[in-house]
Amino acid sequence: MNNTLLELKNISYKYKNNLILNKVNLKINSGEKIALLGKSGSGKTTLISVLNGTIKPTQGEVKLFNKSYEELDRKQKRKITTIWQDLRLIEDLSAEQNVNCGLLAENNFYFTFKNLLNISSFKKAHKYMQLCGLHNSIYEKKIRKLSGGQKQRVAIARSLIQGSNILLADEPFNNLDPKLITTIKNLLLENVDKKNSKKSPKTALVALHRLDLLNDFDKVIGIREGKIFFNIKRNNLKKLHLDKIY
Amino acid sequence: MNKLKLNYISLSFLPILVCIPLGYQLINNIHLGGFKLFQEFLISAFNPKIDNEIIITIINRLNETILIGFFSWLVSIIFGAIFGIISSNIFYKIFNIPNFFYRIIRFFLTIIRSIHEVVWGILLMQIYGINFSIGIIAICIPYIAVNSKVFAEQLEIIDYKSFESINQINAPKFSSLLTLIWNPIINTFKNFGLYRLECSIRSTVILGLFGIGGIGTSIFLSFQTLNFRELWTYLWSLAILIILSGLIFKKIKFNTTNKILSIFFIAVFFITILFSFSYFLYFIFNNNFENFNSVSSLFKSSSDLGLFDFLKLILETIILSLLSTGIAISLPPLVIGIFNNNSSKFFIKIFAFLLRLIPTPVILLTLLTFNNPSLSLAALTLGLHNAGITSKLLFTNLDRQDKRNYIAMKSLGISKKTSWLLGLFSQQAKSYLAYCAYRSDIIIRETAIVGVIGSVGLGWQLQESLSSFAWQEVTIVLIAYSSIAIVGELINGKIKNSLT
Repeated sequence: MNNTLLELKNISYKYKNNLILNKVNLKINSGEKIALLGKSGSGKTTLISVLNGTIKPTQGEVKLFNKSYEELDRKQKRKITTIWQDLRLIEDLSAEQNVNCGLLAENNFYFTFKNLLNISSFKKAHKYMQLCGLHNSIYEKKIRKLSGGQKQRVAIARSLIQGSNILLADEPFNNLDPKLITTIKNLLLENVDKKNSKKSPKTALVALHRLDLLNDFDKVIGIREGKIFFNIKRNNLKKLHLDKIY
Repeated sequence: MNKLKLNYISLSFLPILVCIPLGYQLINNIHLGGFKLFQEFLISAFNPKIDNEIIITIINRLNETILIGFFSWLVSIIFGAIFGIISSNIFYKIFNIPNFFYRIIRFFLTIIRSIHEVVWGILLMQIYGINFSIGIIAICIPYIAVNSKVFAEQLEIIDYKSFESINQINAPKFSSLLTLIWNPIINTFKNFGLYRLECSIRSTVILGLFGIGGIGTSIFLSFQTLNFRELWTYLWSLAILIILSGLIFKKIKFNTTNKILSIFFIAVFFITILFSFSYFLYFIFNNNFENFNSVSSLFKSSSDLGLFDFLKLILETIILSLLSTGIAISLPPLVIGIFNNNSSKFFIKIFAFLLRLIPTPVILLTLLTFNNPSLSLAALTLGLHNAGITSKLLFTNLDRQDKRNYIAMKSLGISKKTSWLLGLFSQQAKSYLAYCAYRSDIIIRETAIVGVIGSVGLGWQLQESLSSFAWQEVTIVLIAYSSIAIVGELINGKIKNSLT
């Protein structure tokens, strides 16, 4: 049975005459946890942006659930969630309002209105914020008043509240202290957290810099100058591979 | 010899050079015939007339002014926000609408706002006759377009990445739009709302001078009868109204976390929209359009306006705008810099307030008591009035600014004026010039008012053409006005962009 969720066929992306992605081929199957390694500027963020449909490639074909991005309905698009490297939170809204933004897709316009007026229920948002180690004293604070680590966790909570099956994350452990990294990693990669009745995304592609975090991943992809240098099982990863990309 | 290097500070002061040709013409035009009248005008400021009759008139006239001013403000700010949304980039990105429509709407709004409310007022009065609602409509038409620009500019600076992130959540498009624009809209309202209310009241007063009603009409009538004591009673009552409206506006906390207040604001929003539409329809279907037939003769009426005369009027309008802008830019920093002590500051603030308060036609008519009508006099009037506005902004920003540099420079033994210039003003010069670029757009539009009174430029021609129902001429003049304003706005936009 074909269980490919995301597929890139011969993808190239050019920006101002610079080739950011160069003939990338990639398949992500259901349930896979993939770590994406590469130096800064190697094309990791662009690859994630192509996968979530934010960037249209200059050349090649992107298939999500065996369909092109334009063919997907809203329900299918909702199955993908992204944690951006630059977080992309709405600075003027409070932390809880930002987390509630993750629920916009499954709710109607009235919910949006209530969220902006601060009269919607924040119960679910608070639950996810708590899971991410956020203290209730910051729930009502505006994003611009939070520290880097707090913002990072708000972005993660917003992503998790969406309840998507596929997670695309661009360096989600930035700004976090070591203890929190383990908690957040478990939240993002463990399938089911029975204690908190929270479902983690089943499939994940996570861009990373730290090699000590690779343990929970099934596969590792190495990217350099927009080209995939290796796409192997984690157990097969050798120093030789890393030398190619760093 | 060293080459002159221009920086933001020198650019703020250089325009004062316009005073050389201006002063030359003004000195040549001095006549002492009405000097006594001018003296009487000044003295009356300290001795306004107060009796029962005038107090009743003031209450009635202020009621009209508040009604016109407040309603035109409310309608124009709400519709301004709506048009601001549909003339901002973010709207077209979210709904995937081709940019072509964005350009059309922006161009349409630019044309609408290029024509001053007084011109709209005179035009509508010619068609519909004098009517209370004409005042509201005349203010609302350009103000909606002006406010839409203010809102659109704030929405343009929404981080594109926030848009991408919301878009990626795959929320319904209206939800995405509302989430992204909510706070910029509320903040724009908080920051510009009071200023726009003040503008609205001022415009109501100016329209009153042209017979629309309110305190403006009383001011004009008392000026015509040279009853300066009565005139100052009206002016001071207007000052109290503006100060009070400012205090009330500042007292209201636009706290979106307060549920009852939020629901109240939303109710006001929708009721205003509903009321405006119903009133607009009522106005259209219940008006007898007495003079509307004359519009149909637009293409039949001939124009006696020669090409040379017409070009001369355009040139006059452009020169008038440039001279006034020069004064409005340079006078405030020059005066504040020279008289840099607390007591002088107090008097400058009062003088600036009076310049903002007294309608430009009244300033011009007062100056006409000792100077013959000329382009320079009109430019001085417009320049002084706008200097009152730019100085308010400069004072506010200087008061808010960190004064450590200024104090440090003074402690080094540097003179107070130099310390002010380099320690305080230098940090404000760039943003001040950016605001002045925006202000010059308004000055171009305001040339219409002084033109009507001071027999200068296209404003004068417009009044003449309207009085004789020469609709073809009116159309030509309005097109010329719009063209100047649009070109001015484009140039000022470029200057502003390079400064921000």
